[in-house]
Amino acid sequence: MVDLVTNDEPRDNLFLVALKSPSFVIGLVLTLMFSIGAVVSFFWTPFDVAVLDILNRLKCPPAQNWVASLQIPSAENNWFASWACQSAPEYLFGTDHFGRDMFSMILVGARTSIAVAFIAVGIGIGVGVPLGLAAAAKTGSIIDELIMRSNDLVLAFPALLIAILITAVYGASATNAIIAIGIFNIPVFARLTRGAALSLWTREFVLAARVAGKGPVLISIEHILPNIMNLLIVQSTIQFSLGILAEAGLSYVGLGVQPPIPSWGRMLADAQTMISFAPHMALLPGIAIILTVLGLNLMGDGLRDVFDPKLRRSRT
Amino acid sequence: MSLLTIKDLSLKIGDAEILRDIDLSINGGEILGIIGESGSGKSMSALSIMQLLPSGSVTGGSIKLNGVELLDKSEEEMCSLRGRDIGMIFQEPMTALNPVKTIGDQVAETVLVHDNVSREEAMKIARSTLDRVELPADQFPLNRYPHELSGGQRQRVVIAMAIALQPNLLIADEPTTALDVTTQAQILSLLQKLVDEDGMGLILITHDLAVVADLADHIAIMQNGVVVEAGETLSVFREMKHEYTRTLFAASNHVPKRDERRHVSKDEVILSVEDVVRDYPVKRTSLFKKPGVFRAVDNVSFSIGRGENLGLVGERGCGKSTLSRAILALDKMQAGVVHLDGEIISAGEGASRAARRKMQVVFQDPYGSFNPRHRVDKLVSEPFYLLDAPPKGAERRLLVERALENVGMLASDADKYIHEFSGGQRQRIAIARALIIEPPLIILDEAVSALDVSIRAQILDLLAELSDRLGISYLFISHDLSVVRAITDRVLVMKDGVIVEVGKSEDVFRNPQHPYTKQLIAAAPDIEQALAAREKRIN
Amino acid sequence: MLVFILKRSISLLLTLIAASFVIFFVIEVVPGDPASFMMGFEASPEAVEALREQLGLNAPLWERYLSWIVGLLQGDFGTSYTYKVPISDLIADRIWVSLPLAAFALTLSILIAFPVGVLAAAKRNSATDVSIMGATQLGIAIPNFWFAMILVLIFAIQNRWFSAGGFPGWDEGFWVGVKGLTLPAISLALPQASILARVMRSSLLDTLDEDYVRTARAKGLSRRQALWRHALRNAMIPVLTIIGLQFSFLMAGSVIIERVFFLPGIGSLVFLGITQRDLIVVKSVVMLLVFAVIVVTFLVDVAYAFVDPRLRKGR
Repeated sequence: MVDLVTNDEPRDNLFLVALKSPSFVIGLVLTLMFSIGAVVSFFWTPFDVAVLDILNRLKCPPAQNWVASLQIPSAENNWFASWACQSAPEYLFGTDHFGRDMFSMILVGARTSIAVAFIAVGIGIGVGVPLGLAAAAKTGSIIDELIMRSNDLVLAFPALLIAILITAVYGASATNAIIAIGIFNIPVFARLTRGAALSLWTREFVLAARVAGKGPVLISIEHILPNIMNLLIVQSTIQFSLGILAEAGLSYVGLGVQPPIPSWGRMLADAQTMISFAPHMALLPGIAIILTVLGLNLMGDGLRDVFDPKLRRSRT
Repeated sequence: MSLLTIKDLSLKIGDAEILRDIDLSINGGEILGIIGESGSGKSMSALSIMQLLPSGSVTGGSIKLNGVELLDKSEEEMCSLRGRDIGMIFQEPMTALNPVKTIGDQVAETVLVHDNVSREEAMKIARSTLDRVELPADQFPLNRYPHELSGGQRQRVVIAMAIALQPNLLIADEPTTALDVTTQAQILSLLQKLVDEDGMGLILITHDLAVVADLADHIAIMQNGVVVEAGETLSVFREMKHEYTRTLFAASNHVPKRDERRHVSKDEVILSVEDVVRDYPVKRTSLFKKPGVFRAVDNVSFSIGRGENLGLVGERGCGKSTLSRAILALDKMQAGVVHLDGEIISAGEGASRAARRKMQVVFQDPYGSFNPRHRVDKLVSEPFYLLDAPPKGAERRLLVERALENVGMLASDADKYIHEFSGGQRQRIAIARALIIEPPLIILDEAVSALDVSIRAQILDLLAELSDRLGISYLFISHDLSVVRAITDRVLVMKDGVIVEVGKSEDVFRNPQHPYTKQLIAAAPDIEQALAAREKRIN
Repeated sequence: MLVFILKRSISLLLTLIAASFVIFFVIEVVPGDPASFMMGFEASPEAVEALREQLGLNAPLWERYLSWIVGLLQGDFGTSYTYKVPISDLIADRIWVSLPLAAFALTLSILIAFPVGVLAAAKRNSATDVSIMGATQLGIAIPNFWFAMILVLIFAIQNRWFSAGGFPGWDEGFWVGVKGLTLPAISLALPQASILARVMRSSLLDTLDEDYVRTARAKGLSRRQALWRHALRNAMIPVLTIIGLQFSFLMAGSVIIERVFFLPGIGSLVFLGITQRDLIVVKSVVMLLVFAVIVVTFLVDVAYAFVDPRLRKGR
């Protein structure tokens, strides 16, 4: 971990270096795909997700019928015949039990997922990083002790428990999901920042800055923060992906985003009772979650390889 | 026939040529010293013999042990050879032992891996081997863990692991570099004793000419992956056929020339340290006892005149760096006061900006001394922060360029990042940073210790020249006696937080008074003395 | 060692106290009047007052807090407002679903992760390593409740090997109970095993680069011997941390997974509490879960001392 902290190379061309890492590129493509989908959904979706169209309910994706029609030459009977279902060409991903277009739902769901996770990571960084910097600057002091003990305390409450507590009193909403995930992100970033900053505070360039009369605030901004940026970027992608998973989980159990706002977790909750006759309703949002999370994780992995010269060496 | 014969050895890692045309040989009961600066390929030669090279390595040529070719052996055959026929010791004793296994288990493992013996039998051998490396059973039972031992003791355990099966050949890669001089002397004489007793060959790899001059029968000098000169120790040192040998020899004895007009003021005191105390809290060992304190600096007093270069020597943990941090006001003192050119640093108040302006520092590690994200311009100008009216724009740039030129760098270097410079260049830039606000005092905390000898000689020249020309005082802190002797006017000897001896450098080194100083000086290897002793033995 | 454990115990106690404050504050102080909150807006003032009396809400805050804690210490979790039975009875019924599920999942995840992680590290950069890393990357990305639904679709609906939900109870026999928990445990274990395997691998690779592994090789140990005898135990130190952290994710995960399989566990109790606005149930069950997380963290800390002799100083 500490190796990520300082890397003697300049960082201007790191992005170009990262583009050589296959996992970073795959991750970037997946992440961009869903981000663009989320942005586009603000202006345009194939169908309006607010309109219910009961006549067209539970249409399956045309691809499912295509699979059902496959003939395996050596097989005696058609393996996939039972997959046959009602589909309509204009509903590429099929429709749900209210006749809403699944593709449009997934686009709008991307928006919800990304927004919740993004703000939650923002809360984690915005609060956690300054706390971690302060704790490292005043290591061993009461401030440090207080910050670290509160971190331990928060870590004893998984995001789900925070959400349960908040929901029990205020009722469920997207805001509560954001707060719950965000609070859980704070100690993650605070600990990471403190640990990395502590190792930097003993470095000689920080001592030189202290000899030059600079105070803890200025040193934290000028010398510590730039050198832990890599670490924070990598951790952000990880927390972002965890945030998406957490939001899906909370919405699935009804503690997160509420109807009628589409969310991947909610779509899965709706799909559960219909899984035997409309499996596409469960499969598609799940795949959307997996690809988004996978994309972010791959991107984080690729960045870590680029930032950490020790790891890069072991790859060659 | 020689014990080990290396012919035309070459090594490539990927596309990089690491070694070429290496010819070396060593007989049983002999010590071969391999000398070189960092990057000369001396460690890689040793790893080639062990066949423990990093992946992607390609070797050529021949390495024969007792007439048997090692380069043809399979990995499995090498495993049965390592530890039994060839033992190896590494530089860093603090990390060379597995922290979660007892020393007895780790020494016995050498036996258990190779011989089909019972655990008790192996433990018995471990015990007797630890006795041989002078770790007696009453103080060092087999169930000790590495963290309970000092660096020197751990190195003895590593040696025990290497010699448990009495190998024909022992390779020691910088075995004492991480140790204090007195410990170094003990480890070296232990190695000598083991060679004499077991008749094994020892390859001693080091950067320190004095160490090999004392110990080695033959030496080989390496530079850039090539052996530039090899032969019997005395003749190599006396004849010095190759130019690099002469450079190396001159650099390791280098004494900078001082300006004759140089003025050292005794009356005008720049730094006066009075009764400084630094305590560290010790981790509590029991819930019911009060946490204790460790007194790292105990009532230390001294002073430095304008233009004076004062040395501070002592071994690891003697408190010299703690003292320098207290003077720099990086840590709070528990008692005492420091007067610095009219400003006061006290235990209660710490340092004012005015006091900080009077001193700067150069640290040991040229790689850790700079924020890798900033350009040299920003790095060097950092102390301007201390000025009430820091220069701006063109004026500031001019001062940065002048500081760089003062230390032998180019004005255009200001626009580069620090990773573009070598260790020696970085140390020059560190000196430029210290100089830029022209403080009367610069503290040099092991400032040349991490540098190769030839670079070190250049930096010492630079420091001497700057002090002479600008009248700057130095507090020169080092564990290396020869360097301190070369550059300082007066010297303080520190032990366990106390100054045990003060005096003119030449006097102290020529005629030490305190027993500890005597011990230190006796332990420090000295090329001339070693060569003279060798000559006497031959005649 | 004793000092170490004592120190940890004190911090364990302090964290527990702080956690109980937080929970008490959120449940009993934030809503203003818990009684009217629980009864809803249409409740008559008399009914609310009766409930206040019944819950002891008229006592000062610190007294209510103390009586709650004293009750907890005696195993008295209060009485459920909805069911009118002691919460400890409700928990006692359900803990024997949730606890075995968490233990089952943790065991599975360790059993999968260890060999896989060690294999990937031993064959660093090989095709095996790359495919294991790819598979674990996918495993991390899969939401456990979705995986649970897919398992149900395949193994309960398509092939009727397992039941799609519900729990037969341990009275039906041990193996029947285990079978009932198998699909939930697998779906919980998959992402955790993926994370653990990755940590295992990277931790092992780190220790394989250590000087003492090189020393061991110089003694004549083969690569494999050096890995098993020297690297593995040192690599366990960070792995233990992750196992400790994973427990809290498992707790959270099982609350969600119980929902997929309609298991009568602690999780379902919490959701009942939320939908019924039964704050007493929520308060006590959340405290129980937090207690479990904190105690496991403590146990992991103590386990460190067994792996790492440097922590055993002053025995």
